[in-house]
Amino acid sequence: MMRKLTGTALAAMLIGNVGLAEEFKWAETTDPQTMDPHAVNSAPVLGFLNNVYEGLVRRGKDMAIEPALATAWEPIGEGEGWRFMLREGVTFHGGEAFDADDVIFSYQRASNEASDTRSWFAPVSDVIKVDDYTVDIMTTAPNPIFPDSIANWMIMDSGWAEANGTSLPDKENGNYATLNTNGTGAFMVTAREPGLRTVLEPHASWWDEAEHNITRAELTPIQNPATAVAALLSGDVDLINPVPIQDAARLSADSSVQVIQGIEARVIMLGFPHEADALKYSAETTDANPFADARVRRAVAHAVNVPAILQTIMRGSAEPASQLVSPAMRGYSAALAERPAFDPDMARALLEEAGYGDGFSFGLKCPNDRYLNDEAVCQAVTGMLAQVGITAVLDAMPVQNYWPELRADNYDMYLLGWSPGTFDAEHPVRFLASTPNEEKKLGSWNFGGFSNARVDELLPMIQSEIDDTKRQAMLDETAKILQDEVAYVPMYVQPLVWGAGANVALTQRPDNFFILRWVTVN
Amino acid sequence: MLAYIIQRVVQSALVLLVVGLVAFSMFRFVGDPVDNMLGQERTQADIERLREVLGLDQPFVVQYYKFLSNAAQGNFGVSYRQGRPVAEILMERAPATLELAAVSGFLAISIGIALGVFTAIRRNGVGANLIMSVSLIGVSLPTFLIGILLIYLFSVELGWLPSFGRGDTVMIGGWSTGFLTSSGLQALILPSITLGLYQMTLIMRLVRSEMLEVLRQDYIRFARARGLRERAVNFRHALKNTLVPVITVTGLQLGSIIAFAIITETVFQWPGVGLLFINAIQFVDIPVMAAYLMLISVMFVGINLIVDLLYFAIDPRLRVDRTGAH
Repeated sequence: MMRKLTGTALAAMLIGNVGLAEEFKWAETTDPQTMDPHAVNSAPVLGFLNNVYEGLVRRGKDMAIEPALATAWEPIGEGEGWRFMLREGVTFHGGEAFDADDVIFSYQRASNEASDTRSWFAPVSDVIKVDDYTVDIMTTAPNPIFPDSIANWMIMDSGWAEANGTSLPDKENGNYATLNTNGTGAFMVTAREPGLRTVLEPHASWWDEAEHNITRAELTPIQNPATAVAALLSGDVDLINPVPIQDAARLSADSSVQVIQGIEARVIMLGFPHEADALKYSAETTDANPFADARVRRAVAHAVNVPAILQTIMRGSAEPASQLVSPAMRGYSAALAERPAFDPDMARALLEEAGYGDGFSFGLKCPNDRYLNDEAVCQAVTGMLAQVGITAVLDAMPVQNYWPELRADNYDMYLLGWSPGTFDAEHPVRFLASTPNEEKKLGSWNFGGFSNARVDELLPMIQSEIDDTKRQAMLDETAKILQDEVAYVPMYVQPLVWGAGANVALTQRPDNFFILRWVTVN
Repeated sequence: MLAYIIQRVVQSALVLLVVGLVAFSMFRFVGDPVDNMLGQERTQADIERLREVLGLDQPFVVQYYKFLSNAAQGNFGVSYRQGRPVAEILMERAPATLELAAVSGFLAISIGIALGVFTAIRRNGVGANLIMSVSLIGVSLPTFLIGILLIYLFSVELGWLPSFGRGDTVMIGGWSTGFLTSSGLQALILPSITLGLYQMTLIMRLVRSEMLEVLRQDYIRFARARGLRERAVNFRHALKNTLVPVITVTGLQLGSIIAFAIITETVFQWPGVGLLFINAIQFVDIPVMAAYLMLISVMFVGINLIVDLLYFAIDPRLRVDRTGAH
């Protein structure tokens, strides 16, 4: 006890040299809906819990994976699985020691039917404890990106979970782990009031060197953007995420705050009804589906003036996209970085060629509260398409009404944003470009039913290719097919805009996770 | 008397049931909660399984019936978003709303009456006319705009008051109060002004017109003729007679202060039931929405019932009509 006290005092003195030990407050639009790392697979939950729990690997400032609870990993044999060497001397917030049993337990918990995270473990056939600090994770097929895909798989203490009756997550009714945490991360949750505030304090015996100088941090959800901006300006909070794009310029002009901009992993694109026999919302074209013709889809790609959208609606903070992933992702095809040029004449010529020279009308569905300025983007797209003679009837709605509409195929064109959970180009191919197959869990967000035999053939090969060069070649081929077929019209990569006090130094990661251990307050 | 009361109570219960039915028929249009509850990597099978678990595959009448029968046993369900019993969440959030409403109500009544009396007595003065003109702003500006303006003036520009939240609270029994800490009291100022401003101007204008009416009455003239001091005339005789209609209106406004705290709570991120309701709509958290709507309608129907019964006690004509029908 005495030693611990001196340690803390010493740490306080050291921090005192950098600047006073600091309390940090931040606001986000969404409160993490649970503290259970395996119950819900959503960005607000995983992003927050990354400060509290840790996985075998973690993502660094450049998104590359680095050792966390595992110190090293290597493939087993010819790709039968992966061996992870675990870190010794790690303790949970409650003081329990970390070992292989916690990994096995967390695998069973996170891959259970009751867990939202179970799809991460679809390729896993077995997890074997070799000794107290070595674990083998066996996969059904060679899986080169497996360590990348489990960066958000967080390890929970088995003894703690069992003692508190939370061996499995309970999403519908909640249980002990919904409100309480016990991770190995840099911060521990000391108070949790759902929807109001969540308080974090540093984990005194964290295994890694602390980069931050925070003694206490508090997360408050603030839904109203104007309130959040006011809270930042008045100094009531030190960070807000996001800053409304239209306020970014005004905030940058204020010397007491800074606007931190980056590129998110999310690509915003237009989607089409590939399978439909006819348009649903057309005034005159009721017996044909023009979008089934790749030339019409290409015409759309040429008709949309992406640079203009970026300059006006996104105020210069976003970047154009040419494929389903952003350049920051693994497996991005550098050779295919060029997106179709804005060329209304070519668009008209393509429509003429496809037999729609006189244009047609159709329904464009769009969310109005899901992506940054989504409705404004759809309005701009509507205007640009009208220039080449195809008239969209825009129907924008809140996101909770939007997905059911898309699932019911009630659209002729739609807006979609996709952020690959694995930060790899394989992810959107699996979810957006594969022929939908419920049994194999493929194409579950491929609303339009795009289907290409070669893409379906390439996907399993990509998933099991160990050689990076060969894998990239296959990803390039897939991206080329998707571009040639105009399966989607990728428009831009959504920007990240955070606002922080001028005295805050932090690192912004493309996955929009706010990592507290990289924050220093001066 | 008893027949009248029974008739009123039955009517109130019917109104409640209809409100619930309308609410449940509307929930479908708010959206589908399953997308919010499942992650990006959900499959169609997951969606269907969850819809079944939540009973969303049933027609809304069946959902409503289930809600009613559970509610009758004191079970309001589990929040989709928080995974905790709705009753527990409502109890946790209610003190914030009730304290805010109490302070706003108090401000509205005390300042409203004081200004009303002032503007009635000095009805041609510069000050009274100024107050009357400014009060137009209180009636006509929307609440969220007033809230944002106050935040920008007092939090951002002057830095005197917190821009959001409730400050530190103290738990007394199961009740979290912000009255006992300085940050809690500071945090109350802007939201309570925002919430109470409309009621304050309403009461002020009501008191003023009633007071002007009363001041023209003969007994006031006689009081003056008797040589009573101006203060006694104004406050002992005139104000007392002004207050009867004011109390009626204030009582009815109390319900709307609580119900319309939604907007103020959203602007100030005030952790009350109104903010809870707004979040529930965004998440399609049906159990929370249902419980909140029922709670508010019980409150309104209850207030109306009490008012009806009070009228019966106060107004002899109602009784005369009834007995006359025999």
